[in-house]
Amino acid sequence: MNQPVPIPALELRSLSKTFYLPRRGSFLPRTTAHHAVTDVNLILPQNAILGLVGESGSGKTTTGMMALRLVQPTSGQIHVDGTDITHLDHVALKPLRRKMQVVFQDSYSALDPMMTLSQIVAEPLHIHAQGTPAEQIESALAMMERTGLHRSYGSRYPHELSGGQRQRVAIARALILRPSVLVADEPTSALDVSVKAQIINLLLDLQAEMGLSILFISHDLSVVRSLTDTVAVMWGGRIVEQAATETIFADARHPYTRGLLDAIPVLNPRDRRQRQFLTREQIQSQIPRICGPKTGQLVQVAPGHLVEAVQP
Amino acid sequence: MPLVDIENLTVSFPQHEGVVQAVRGMTLRLNPGESLGIVGESGSGKSVTCMAVMRLLRQPPARISADKLELGGIDMLRASPRQLAATRGRVAAMVFQDPMTAFDPVFTIGHQITETIRAHRDLSKSQAWSEAAALLTRVEIKLPGQVLVSYPHQLSGGMLQRAMIAMALSCRPQILFADEPTTALDVTIQAQILALIKDLQAEFGMGLIMVTHDLGVVAETVDRVVVMYGGRVMEEGPVQEIFDTPAHPYTKALMGSIPGRLPGKQRLVEIPGASPNPADPPTGCPFHPRCTVADARCGTDAPAFAAITANRAAACWRLQ
Amino acid sequence: MIRYILGRLISVALTFTVVSVIVFLMMHAVPGGPFDGNDMPVNDAVKAKLNASLGLDRPLHIQYFKYMWGVLHFDFGIPFQSPGETVLQLLARAWPPSLILGGSGVLIGAPLGILLGIAAALRRNTWVDYLASAFATLGLTVPVFVISMMLIMVFAVWLGWLPASGWDRPYSWILPIAAYAAIPMATYARYTRSAMLDVLNKPFVTVLRAKGISERRIIFQHVLRNAALPMITVFLPMFIGTATGSIFVEAMFRVPGLGAYFVSSINLRDYPLEMALILMITFMFCIAYLISDIVYALVNPRIRVGGRQ
Repeated sequence: MNQPVPIPALELRSLSKTFYLPRRGSFLPRTTAHHAVTDVNLILPQNAILGLVGESGSGKTTTGMMALRLVQPTSGQIHVDGTDITHLDHVALKPLRRKMQVVFQDSYSALDPMMTLSQIVAEPLHIHAQGTPAEQIESALAMMERTGLHRSYGSRYPHELSGGQRQRVAIARALILRPSVLVADEPTSALDVSVKAQIINLLLDLQAEMGLSILFISHDLSVVRSLTDTVAVMWGGRIVEQAATETIFADARHPYTRGLLDAIPVLNPRDRRQRQFLTREQIQSQIPRICGPKTGQLVQVAPGHLVEAVQP
Repeated sequence: MPLVDIENLTVSFPQHEGVVQAVRGMTLRLNPGESLGIVGESGSGKSVTCMAVMRLLRQPPARISADKLELGGIDMLRASPRQLAATRGRVAAMVFQDPMTAFDPVFTIGHQITETIRAHRDLSKSQAWSEAAALLTRVEIKLPGQVLVSYPHQLSGGMLQRAMIAMALSCRPQILFADEPTTALDVTIQAQILALIKDLQAEFGMGLIMVTHDLGVVAETVDRVVVMYGGRVMEEGPVQEIFDTPAHPYTKALMGSIPGRLPGKQRLVEIPGASPNPADPPTGCPFHPRCTVADARCGTDAPAFAAITANRAAACWRLQ
Repeated sequence: MIRYILGRLISVALTFTVVSVIVFLMMHAVPGGPFDGNDMPVNDAVKAKLNASLGLDRPLHIQYFKYMWGVLHFDFGIPFQSPGETVLQLLARAWPPSLILGGSGVLIGAPLGILLGIAAALRRNTWVDYLASAFATLGLTVPVFVISMMLIMVFAVWLGWLPASGWDRPYSWILPIAAYAAIPMATYARYTRSAMLDVLNKPFVTVLRAKGISERRIIFQHVLRNAALPMITVFLPMFIGTATGSIFVEAMFRVPGLGAYFVSSINLRDYPLEMALILMITFMFCIAYLISDIVYALVNPRIRVGGRQ
């Protein structure tokens, strides 16, 4: 008997984004095309955490924004809980927005400085008209407690909190509508070491408790290691490798992934070593030569382990 | 003679909410050729310490006091403005965290590097220019001539950071302060910049003080470590020993909370609570509200910074 | 850049046209005509004939096009209040005093204001700062005719050093120039102070100190250069605004400048002069802003030189 394939919480199919930037110095308005994201395929299963890793300019943030339709893709499709949301208009999209939420890196600018914390966390309920105002505030306070803030904080303002506390508020606000998908764009990058650990633990706990799926975007592989089930590595707008997290750490095949792992600072001084830093061309030349349908395609080298390959 | 000699440094800033005590009684010594890492989270006072010893804090509003504050033998507390300007850049130089805002946007990189050179060394304009080009090559910039005539907004963060390092080294300082030099950079660039700083430190024979919140940076780069918290030094010692056998409860907790140390998706050991409010620090040991082994004394008396072994010291009642 | 300038010139032409239409309509919307005053009352038949002789009986849009056609040929008509000369001749006669006095006022006041602002910024929160800021505030809040009056009282009446009015000798220009200088000086003092404080708080200034650059060089080479950028854009429009004359200063000092005509032309329904004055100012402001923007783009490396390489 066939097991029905579970519908992924988020699926990106052949997602691409091209920005047209004005070109300087010419008489007629000319633009250069900048391919920020090219042909990204990602599946975020239900109840799982997927890490999207890359350095600045890799396209990871743009991909995350497209997944939420905060940036309109140039081509490709986005499916949330099985529904194709790529071309829905605002009216049709609004109720679906409850299923997808976001947490950003800068918690300070993500919170309206003129609103109290309880108002901030209750705002999504207000926007989607859920419950009476009193119920909304009560839900907000309860959610704040779930994220580790005492409910007496409800009447405080964002500027009174530390970075870690603000990030908790942002997470509470994102989760109050019980979304299926949470896109977290570098939520721990601006935090101190000890606070990073708190937020990572918080995300792990809430994910397990609420059964939500998280697309965790980060440049910090160490954080990704402690948090995610699978990792997709992006470089130059494309996914170059994708596998279970420990597989990536133990057996990365793509030279860019290897370079990224190699660059992580050691955790003990005795592990200090000389490093080889490859240039872009060197990385390109070392991409595994594997038979595949076409150059630049993702090829499966082991179950669940995909690597971008070129024709030999 | 120590390159950097700080004894009992206290820095405070009066503000609306109260007096912010950024550094409270900090003592530190750096010897020639040594590299020291100052590790701490935001609010620990690590950056303020370096800014204070270089006298880069506006006084007022900052209030600085110390029994000793010397750079390369020069008394930085009593030096005249002229002496201070002569010391900065030549005796001690500093590399800052955000390279994008560290340069004057209306002048070229070349202008800003040669400006430093000609402020301290007796070179003509063209001599200074070639010196700047040589320095840029030394920090692994491919087309130095082009970078020299570029404006800051035309270059990437990694390139600007290399240029800032070149600028700091241009007058052969004895001491290099690096304040979170790689925090704003990608991880591969970070690794390159750290390797570069290490090489240059050895080549130029400088003393290095690396300020960071990232224990990995410290594990990569320095010989000795000072751990700061709440404006005070918690622990000090050789880097390998600190990592293998951290003595102070804060250092131990910090080591345990580093993500990615152990393979696999898992909860980390977290330090409960939040960093102390610098305007209203806890009485006694600054870490005691979050410490798992704190006792009554920890909350009332600030522990003295005392030696544990021949080359390790810590400020903790439970260790004495 | 060429494309930018061409685009701006087109928008200048557009602005000019729109303003001319609006002003023309507003001018004629004010009830009454040039011959409705009470000093020389005329009966209706005579009034109608007089109006017709000036073309005021034609439909509005005809009047408008006739006038604008003339403008394109640099013919601004004949001022009703001074029919012995053309508008252009009147402007040529009345503008130089305003230009000389107002222009000098800005050219003297602005640098003084900049010095005041620098002093205030460098000695922030000391008596120097408070004094300079108070001075600047007074310059902006005290009406210019009060300033003029005070200057006359002190220097002409009490001390007797300078004449209270007149236009004949350069000697008599000193006080009106001083009155004209008040607003530019105050404006520049405030702008300079805040622009400098802005720059002084920037990270690169700390880096400059860390490099051991002398404080003097930091201020005069780096801080001023950066602070100057926003101030450049203010200068030309301010110059135009002042150099077209102030009715108050010219009235107090009996200077035969352009200032008085701005108001009299409205009161007397002197349509040709009114239109000419407003069109002249509009045009000059548009060009002033255009030049300011171009200069700013040239001086700011972030705009002048491209982006990342």
